[in-house]
Amino acid sequence: MIKIENVHKSYGTGDSRNEVLKGVSLTVKDGDFVVILGASGSGKSTLLNVISGLEPADEGTICYDDRKVSSMNDTELTKFRKEYIGYIFQQYFLLPNLDVDKNVKMGADLAGNKEYRKTIKAVGLEEKRMKYPHELSGGEQQRVSVARALAKKPKVLYLDEPTGALDEQTGRQVLDYICTLKRELGFTMVMVTHNQNIAQMADTVIRMNSGRIVETYHNTKQKTAYEIAW
Amino acid sequence: MMYEYVRCREEYGMIISFKDVFKMIGILIVSFCAVFVCTLFLNYYIDITSVEAAITGQMARIMYEAMRNTAKMVSALSGGCLLLTSVVLLCFYIGHYVDTHKKQLGILKALGYSRFAIAKGFAVFGLCVFAGAAAGYLGAHLLMPGFYETQNAEGYFPPFDATFHPSLFIALAVLPAVFFAMLSIFYSYYRLRVSALTLMREAAAVKVVKAKKETNMPFLTELRKSSVRQRKSLVFFITFAVFCFSSMMQMSFSMDELASVMMAVMIMSIGIVLACVTLLIATTSVMKANAKTITMLKVFGYEARECAKAVLGGYRPWAYVGFAVGTVYQFGLLKIAVEVVFAGMEGIPEYGFDVPAFFCTLVVFVLLYEGIMRFYGKKMERFSVKEIMLD
Repeated sequence: MIKIENVHKSYGTGDSRNEVLKGVSLTVKDGDFVVILGASGSGKSTLLNVISGLEPADEGTICYDDRKVSSMNDTELTKFRKEYIGYIFQQYFLLPNLDVDKNVKMGADLAGNKEYRKTIKAVGLEEKRMKYPHELSGGEQQRVSVARALAKKPKVLYLDEPTGALDEQTGRQVLDYICTLKRELGFTMVMVTHNQNIAQMADTVIRMNSGRIVETYHNTKQKTAYEIAW
Repeated sequence: MMYEYVRCREEYGMIISFKDVFKMIGILIVSFCAVFVCTLFLNYYIDITSVEAAITGQMARIMYEAMRNTAKMVSALSGGCLLLTSVVLLCFYIGHYVDTHKKQLGILKALGYSRFAIAKGFAVFGLCVFAGAAAGYLGAHLLMPGFYETQNAEGYFPPFDATFHPSLFIALAVLPAVFFAMLSIFYSYYRLRVSALTLMREAAAVKVVKAKKETNMPFLTELRKSSVRQRKSLVFFITFAVFCFSSMMQMSFSMDELASVMMAVMIMSIGIVLACVTLLIATTSVMKANAKTITMLKVFGYEARECAKAVLGGYRPWAYVGFAVGTVYQFGLLKIAVEVVFAGMEGIPEYGFDVPAFFCTLVVFVLLYEGIMRFYGKKMERFSVKEIMLD
């Protein structure tokens, strides 16, 4: 379980100080699929970065079961990310000079996962294993990014606008791959998006505005990627 | 597009800003060293030749010839070697500049600036060479009285003063500056040969050197090999930096015995400065080129130590190759100098491989190289995820 209490985060100092998170509290249950919705500048991506240990919070506590992430130093955070977290970004951030196989291996080696090629197969890229990122389409690159994140067997997967740079068809396909793998592997998933329709796929939906959580609700029935409107 | 245009106009009022020229500190230092050494020895060569008629004794004549030959050899070798280094460094820098500013340069071309109009802005790089060369020339003249005294410590020659030769200033400072300015124009003109659209498209594209065959090594080993494969030019710079360090340090130890302490200190200083500057430029380039990779590795949970090993470790074997080649080179060069240039002269000690100098240089090299790599490893710890997110 992930427990976040009264988290504050601001950038800049003096007159240019901008408080992005203003006392955010929430709880994420193991195996949950949480979607954080919000307009641009609502603080949703910052919240994701802070919860996942990419950025330190100014105030507040973040706990993963009995591990207090908010009081960890840089080395401890690196170790924590290695053991717990997987990331999928909007811009993919694949390593351009390595092929698909090696990009996925980047995640797999951290978890000692020798069977990472099964993950490449699971995202439908077995045939393109030796291709380089620039030889792939946007959707394929994002699927590599999915495989890379999952090959490290994370307990929690964080996704920052994973379909933001994709067209509708590819976006649906990528979401479907992610949800299928989530059902198989059972990890917790926290996704940031501005696409309200994607929220229908989640267990829990959190809506943010101006650095605060303004609404939280649970879906009684989750839709699939092909059932939602786009 | 409009914003880019305004930005280009601001940024490229002169195409290249003084800030960019300042970044070429490596070329400035190499120019300084080259002109410093050449001025010292060529000025001495001209001045000692002017008193040739007054040198009569047999030993004095032999010493006179030896001094002239040394001056010629040192000027040709160090000048030639450093000139070549400057040319390579300059081309590398211009190439890097064009690569990292393709979008802006493409916009300028699209707006109607001719290829030559853009390329001529690169002439400002010649200023950097001139600054280094002029400083080297001045430095050599400041040191000259002491140098002349040392060269005539045995009193073989009649006393003579260092004189100012304007032709030397033109040959060593003005002409190289003009040459480098021209080289900058022609090389950038060549690099800008593609169309505006291609330039802008290439800005987004990534050049990748693919692996020749499929391997099954651990990820970090794959990354280490790939990093070196992508930037072969940096292999040259790192090998060259260590080559300079190895050869000049060991040579300076032998020079103490074969020539003078002053020569030894001079060679050692140039070796250290040249090696450090080249190594720092190359390593900074490696770091910049791999900034995103390092950040992603850190995001996924790789430690800074592992990142450093993967990104910088691939160059280590080449550094040791540079050291070995430098050792062989300096031994061969001094052997030739002693057995050919100073052949038949009395008082010249027999030259053999200096084992203590080799080990001493090796220890200093290992400490220095590993220290620099550790410094960059520490720098990697400060890479933030925010940087790539905002990119």
